[in-house]
Amino acid sequence: MDDRRELERLRALLFERELRTLDRLRDQLDALDSFSDRQRRAECVSDIIAEALAIRGRRDEKLNSALEPVVDDIVKNALRTKLPEFTEALFPLMGPSIRKSIAEAFRGMLQSFSKSMEIAFSLRGLRWRLEALRTGKPFSEVVLLHTLVYRVEQVFFIHSATGISLAHVTGEGVASQDADMVSAMLTAIQDFVQDCLASGKEGELESLQHGDHTIMVEKQASAYLACIVRGTPPTRFREQLRACLEDLSVIYFSELAAFKGDIAPFEASRPYLEALLEARYQDDKAISPRGKIILGLLGALLLCLLGYYGAGAYKYHVLKREAREALALLSREPGLLISYNAPTGNGTWEVLIFRDQFAAAPEDVLKDNGLDPASFEFEAVPYVSYQPEMVSRRLKADLKPPSTVELTLGADGILVLSGTAPVNWILEARRRADLMPGILGVDATGIYDPRMRELAEMAREVESTVVEFPSGQDVPAQQYQASLNQAVNKLVEMEQLAAGMDLSVTLTIYGHADATGTEKRNYEVSQARAKTIAAMLYAKGSSLPVLTYGLGSGYAGKTSGADQASRRIEMRVQVFRNGEMLRE
Amino acid sequence: MISKKICMLGSFAVGKTSLVQRFVHSIFSDRYLSTLGVKISKKELDLDGTAMTMVLWDLEGKDRYTEVNVSYLNGAMGFFVVADGTRRETLDIAMELRDKALTLVPGQVPHMLLINKADRRAAWEISQDDIRDIVAMGLPVIETSAMTGNGVEYAFTELGKAMLGQ
Repeated sequence: MDDRRELERLRALLFERELRTLDRLRDQLDALDSFSDRQRRAECVSDIIAEALAIRGRRDEKLNSALEPVVDDIVKNALRTKLPEFTEALFPLMGPSIRKSIAEAFRGMLQSFSKSMEIAFSLRGLRWRLEALRTGKPFSEVVLLHTLVYRVEQVFFIHSATGISLAHVTGEGVASQDADMVSAMLTAIQDFVQDCLASGKEGELESLQHGDHTIMVEKQASAYLACIVRGTPPTRFREQLRACLEDLSVIYFSELAAFKGDIAPFEASRPYLEALLEARYQDDKAISPRGKIILGLLGALLLCLLGYYGAGAYKYHVLKREAREALALLSREPGLLISYNAPTGNGTWEVLIFRDQFAAAPEDVLKDNGLDPASFEFEAVPYVSYQPEMVSRRLKADLKPPSTVELTLGADGILVLSGTAPVNWILEARRRADLMPGILGVDATGIYDPRMRELAEMAREVESTVVEFPSGQDVPAQQYQASLNQAVNKLVEMEQLAAGMDLSVTLTIYGHADATGTEKRNYEVSQARAKTIAAMLYAKGSSLPVLTYGLGSGYAGKTSGADQASRRIEMRVQVFRNGEMLRE
Repeated sequence: MISKKICMLGSFAVGKTSLVQRFVHSIFSDRYLSTLGVKISKKELDLDGTAMTMVLWDLEGKDRYTEVNVSYLNGAMGFFVVADGTRRETLDIAMELRDKALTLVPGQVPHMLLINKADRRAAWEISQDDIRDIVAMGLPVIETSAMTGNGVEYAFTELGKAMLGQ
């Protein structure tokens, strides 16, 4: 027991400092394990995390592999939740490049447009077209031959030792051969030239000439660039080529050094090669970029004007054709007379036209024939046409003939009226027609009023009535009473009929006496006889105006002496229209 | 995408050119062989899903008076040496060319010996013993016939696979 205590004391004596250190370390470790000390642990790690990541990253790919899915998720999540912020952050970066790309595309378009405009509208262009026709070459090739200063048609990026094509680009519209074989062949040619000519001395084949094509070669130890150029490139192009190869040599340093035939990584070199594809045309020098824009704009303007006037010319052509057609139609139309016509200058045709009152409207004539009247501006001047068609229309419009009337206008200018019509219409028509332009006379023999004939018939009946008187008396003998009554009735009937025809009927009664007795007495008795008859008429309710004349014995006209036939009356019926006597 | 430079070496008139003619695509005429000493052609293969473009450099045949332009071997990733079965001396030349090529192309470049004119085996001067000796040296040998096409496709495929295995 003592021994043990002794030993402890000895240990404390010998290892006191170390034991203290061990205690402190144990405390620290305990503290590290406890949750409350996470903050301190984090601080510890934070001191070295950046360096640790850098070291591990250099050592192998594991850090990348470990972080990749995490970073992937973070980015995806952020994109999903914070798209506006991302857009805002990216905009300053993408905006200018999009703008630049659009500007580039537009510039290229404008350049080629101004070039084509220039060629298309120049005398030279015509000459080249003729040349193309003569030689059978496509026009574009002829233009190229004349205007091209140089054009880089193809660029090859080739591995020097193997001659394997790493990347290859061709200009627009350039036919190219198999890049693998061309690259190998170019390499073979260089080897050949190196062997035959340089015989081991320093020097490289820089260019090969064939016709108007040059193959320019820019070489470095591991790779070289070869360009097929049409025409003569400027000296600065060589510098461009060299700079490009230097860039590529740096970018692909390790890939080129360890090249075993895998060309996939070199795909990304294409934009560098494409930057070398360029072309310059003869007139590019003469025309400044601003000039090109102006030329392009002028060309566009010219094209617009041509289009505008072309369309205008076409429209005018169409209008002219329409006008020709329309004027032909109108000149055939009765009652229309074209006096003046011309295009107005704003897409319509102006027509000064004489138009009879009874002619169709020119607009309607066009519409009826399927033409658009909107193309015409008519100015109508009233006039009277003597064309028979117009005269007929005017007659019809003016006379308004009943359907029972036929109007015939003869070539001699005589209007023939035929059929039946009220006498008033016939008389009025005759009067008006006589005054009408284009009518030289009216023939009304073929037209009648049936009621006038009726009136005449009745008048004849009345007039033929025989009424005789006994000697010395003013009252008719009994046997004449019936016929007298009949005549009176007829007269009343006539009066009514005439009133319906807007006419008036007048009755004149002549009284006669025989030769016996004194002349004075004879006048008295003949007068009394006429008046008796008139009184009888009035007694029947008639209101006919009646004139009575006592003619004595002088107008007996029959026998002389004391015969009964001389003691009589005579009746005459007359029809009047507005005071004018009508005759059948 | 894999591209490989392949050279074809062999004595004059062993049929190298006709050997590949039916199996490759070329845009250049045979004229180049006599002027430049090389003719380029191309063969596209599908090796178990891997697309490979072989750019074939057909080098002008060697005879007593002409040397193969060895510069063309630069960067070769594989090569064929071709002999004519009916002419014994072409095998010797092929082996000579192989040795020369191996000194020029660095590392272990896959290559094979093609013995052409297999369709005229009766007239062969190269014996089976000769072939056994060569195979024993570790050089694969494939008998081909440019006339019938026998073995040609196989040879290209084998070389392709060997290059992929590198």
